[in-house]
Amino acid sequence: MMVPPGPPPMDPPALVAPAPEPPGPVVVTQTPTISAALTNSEIEVDSSYAGASLVLYGAVFNPGDDPVDVVLVVRGPERPVRLVRKVRVAGLWLNSRPVVFEGAPAFYVMASTRPLSEIAGFGVLRRMGVGLDHIQIDAPDEARTVNLYGVRDVVISRLGEDYLEWRRAVIRLKERDGLYRADPSGVRFVDPGLFRAEIVLPPEAPTGEYRTEVWLFQNGQAISVRRNTIQVRRVGVERWLHNFAFFQPWLYGLVSVLLAGFTGWAASRWFRRT
Amino acid sequence: MDVYLPIAEVSVNAPLLLALGALVGFISGLFGIGGGFLMAPVLVFLGIPPAVAVASQANHVVASSTSSVLTYSKAGSVDYRMGGIMALGGAVGALFGVELFRLLRLLGQADLVVAVSYLLLLGSIGALTLKESLTTILARRRGEPARREPTRRPLWLYGLPFRVRFPRSGLYISAIPPLLLGVFAGILSAIMGVGGGFILVPAMVYILRMRAAVVVGTSLFQILITTAVTTVLQAGRNQTVDIVLSTLLMVGGVLGAQYGAKASARFRADEMRAALGLLILLVGLQMGLSLFLRPDDPFALAPGGAG
Repeated sequence: MMVPPGPPPMDPPALVAPAPEPPGPVVVTQTPTISAALTNSEIEVDSSYAGASLVLYGAVFNPGDDPVDVVLVVRGPERPVRLVRKVRVAGLWLNSRPVVFEGAPAFYVMASTRPLSEIAGFGVLRRMGVGLDHIQIDAPDEARTVNLYGVRDVVISRLGEDYLEWRRAVIRLKERDGLYRADPSGVRFVDPGLFRAEIVLPPEAPTGEYRTEVWLFQNGQAISVRRNTIQVRRVGVERWLHNFAFFQPWLYGLVSVLLAGFTGWAASRWFRRT
Repeated sequence: MDVYLPIAEVSVNAPLLLALGALVGFISGLFGIGGGFLMAPVLVFLGIPPAVAVASQANHVVASSTSSVLTYSKAGSVDYRMGGIMALGGAVGALFGVELFRLLRLLGQADLVVAVSYLLLLGSIGALTLKESLTTILARRRGEPARREPTRRPLWLYGLPFRVRFPRSGLYISAIPPLLLGVFAGILSAIMGVGGGFILVPAMVYILRMRAAVVVGTSLFQILITTAVTTVLQAGRNQTVDIVLSTLLMVGGVLGAQYGAKASARFRADEMRAALGLLILLVGLQMGLSLFLRPDDPFALAPGGAG
């Protein structure tokens, strides 16, 4: 606060390296640093699961006068996305062959203190994969077709003039389902140097490991980062049923039918008596 | 009270599903149909992935039809021999249908096939049933003598080999037509999640001309076997049976089915057929509409991405 603005922050190292925080006493440097933690890093999915909400809070140590911005990114486990385009054939709306995007995050939330465009430039954000427009969705450079599950000629990627349109569609559809979200005012400073953000997981968000990144931006560059993980796990009956259905599917099917038959039989018995 | 479904991976309102099960069960007991054609569209509307909806409701139909078959069986109105032959065909059809559906999902064409099946089958059967029953009702209202149904069956029923006696149905015909009918119902069971009652009942009435009293009970018996086979296959091959979802539906369903079966005695047969025809027609048109309307978004996520 009293010190004149420090030298311009050194950009790439802080960006590439995770920049581990000094654990103990705060080391006074010229570069602002960030620290963040989650209220809860284990989400348990049970039969009453209706999504989850967790709070991320953190502190910014800013020795200089230059304003800083905080950007939070949460990425869910990567899952392939299959997308079809509706095409009109003889007056009917039909699906095209599906295009598979490999490695799109199943969940993506970006929250920041200001609109991203005011925080950093296009190139920086694109390199970091921060923001809905910059989500890294892997797609091979050339169209190739493979045999998938015995189905021939599934188009894995169709990079071309309409590739961007397909990509945007993935993001738009995921956004509509509440799985991708961008909130340019989602990170709020509750006190100078102290911020909080809320992460809402809809029940549709899959189980697995979620990675959070809290970036500190100054003068258009990322200068510090804090990484955490969130585990979303099935527990109890939910876990047992899911495992049963996927690891012993035939037995599971048989049990389902027997249960149904028994329910029907019991109902008919009960109704005969009354 | 929301409950998280382990396979569908969505959170749904439990009382709503119970009520839906009861309503479909009531209609099922009333008309002697599985009722699956009604439930699949509603489940999809509630946000359940179509593949899970189709497979889980097949399991629900097992419960509601067990309950109904037991009721009809006590009244002696199930032809087990006829039903057994159709169920054999149904099992074969289900086996084929589950594989077909799996392939269609991977090709991204499952929606199309489901929509077209609903439009063509429900649309035509609904329209035919409605027309036939309205004609009968109008004739009755005008006081005309009831048109005697021609008792002659199509000759090819007799020309085919493997003739079997069906004493309860009052038939002595080839086993091939009921078997093929069963195969067809089995394929529908896998693709549309329906038992196939809406197609079996008219076929048994108008083509086989079975004794009217055993039609509904026999159809339900074949539905029971076919959907049981479909459930096991869907669970084993596609892991799409959600036991929590189907249990919620079936608890409501079996209760509804009992009341439906009792209520059916209070209505005239032709009026019931008219109501059923109208219902089938409307669902068919509603499902088929998606083929003709410009979609809100030119793109859609295809299921099976994680698969």
